[in-house]
Amino acid sequence: MKRRLLQNTFHLLLLAITLALSGCSIGQSVQPWEKGTLARPEMTFEGDRLEKKYTEHIYSSKEAASGGAGVGGGGCGCN
Amino acid sequence: MMNIPALKTKSTLFCTAIIGVTLAFPAIRPVYGDTPPENGIVSLKYLNYRDWQTGDTALTAGMSRERIGVQALSLMSMVPVAGEWSLNVSLLDDTVTGASPAYHSAGFPSAVSGASALDHRHAGDVELTRYFSRGSVTGGLSYSKENDYISRGISLQGSWSTEDRNTTCTIGASVNDDSIDLSGDNVIASKKQKDPEKKMVYAGLFGLTKVLAKTDIMQFNFGYSIGNGYYTDPFKDPDIRPRGRNSATFMTRWNHHFESTDGTMHLSYRYYQDTWGVRAHTLGAEYVQPLPKGWALTPQVRFYSQSEADFYIATGSDPSKPVPPPAGAVYYSEDQRLSAFGAVALGLKLSKQLSAHWLVDVKYERYEQRGEWSLSGKGDPGVASFNARDVQIGVSRTF
Repeated sequence: MKRRLLQNTFHLLLLAITLALSGCSIGQSVQPWEKGTLARPEMTFEGDRLEKKYTEHIYSSKEAASGGAGVGGGGCGCN
Repeated sequence: MMNIPALKTKSTLFCTAIIGVTLAFPAIRPVYGDTPPENGIVSLKYLNYRDWQTGDTALTAGMSRERIGVQALSLMSMVPVAGEWSLNVSLLDDTVTGASPAYHSAGFPSAVSGASALDHRHAGDVELTRYFSRGSVTGGLSYSKENDYISRGISLQGSWSTEDRNTTCTIGASVNDDSIDLSGDNVIASKKQKDPEKKMVYAGLFGLTKVLAKTDIMQFNFGYSIGNGYYTDPFKDPDIRPRGRNSATFMTRWNHHFESTDGTMHLSYRYYQDTWGVRAHTLGAEYVQPLPKGWALTPQVRFYSQSEADFYIATGSDPSKPVPPPAGAVYYSEDQRLSAFGAVALGLKLSKQLSAHWLVDVKYERYEQRGEWSLSGKGDPGVASFNARDVQIGVSRTF
């Protein structure tokens, strides 16, 4: 099982690197003065931190999968 | 907040303290991107949650019942320090009532003990970030305490941007050291012991965020975690789980702004796989639509599907009774969260900017989980469908 996970992990990592590299090349070169929209709160990935904490906690206590967006945060006895 | 030992505690002191701290704190705006924040923020959010199961098929008829209720209050405060630092503090207090099944959708505690069951959790985390000309480093500490569970965590994350700041690379790592008390009254007799058990989880993350256009930004995250220790559920029977669990996640997120409507769409996909044999897909979408007079409306939808764990034991001909583990089985569980199922969540958030500094919001979400919705096609028909709803009400002050 661990071997299968490692193999799939390697494939996922390759996919991540490929997508990341393709992301590097497909994007336009956006200039600093063109980033007004990107600086808007709703364009960030962070969003409403308390809402995300509540919602992710609900999902992770009812489902087998969790994580993916970042590291850190406390564990709990709910799963 | 799922498994509840029948303990009687009260929850309000910590909440009161939180409100007191909120009123005393200075406040501002959140950290956006990888630049030092100019302002700070204090946010307070209340959660009201409840879930229930529905026996709506011939096999699960008669299994409808209420399960868990949660009331929580959390506080988040971010303060910029000296133009190059920021300090982020979060506190949480929640109270859980109700009962969860010992196996599949049955085996609930008796009416008396189930009604009196109560758990109380308080948690907090602190993050300190140092900003540089093209990057940042964040160190974090977290602590969470329940009646029978203590979790302590430490994390470190760094990010670095290219000169044009259109590409940001992030690397992070964390360690969680958890302690599980197995001496409580509700612990299954065969699992009771005086000394607490331990669980250690080491996690790492590699991420890349890319500005694609002046209205598009995309992120790829790859995460891996290694867990060792006590994973068995002390309140469920039959339930013996492996003492290790490694998992890998791949997540991609894309934000796009529509200039025609001034609205913003968030799309996300996550793939998850672990050494218990669980594979899961999560697809999320939401759309933030600003409206006149400071209002904003955000509809949200989330689709989830998982396969069953290798050691999950499905229901038998009578779903109200536990199924004896196969002879010689080392690991087994009848926890429905380890079965194959799919889930759909629909949410709607409404926010109102009251002034330059004050923002209030309210959110309602409805969640449903069913075995036949699993993409693996192997959902357990003897498990009752699971439903939940939550309401969140928040207020933020920035300056």
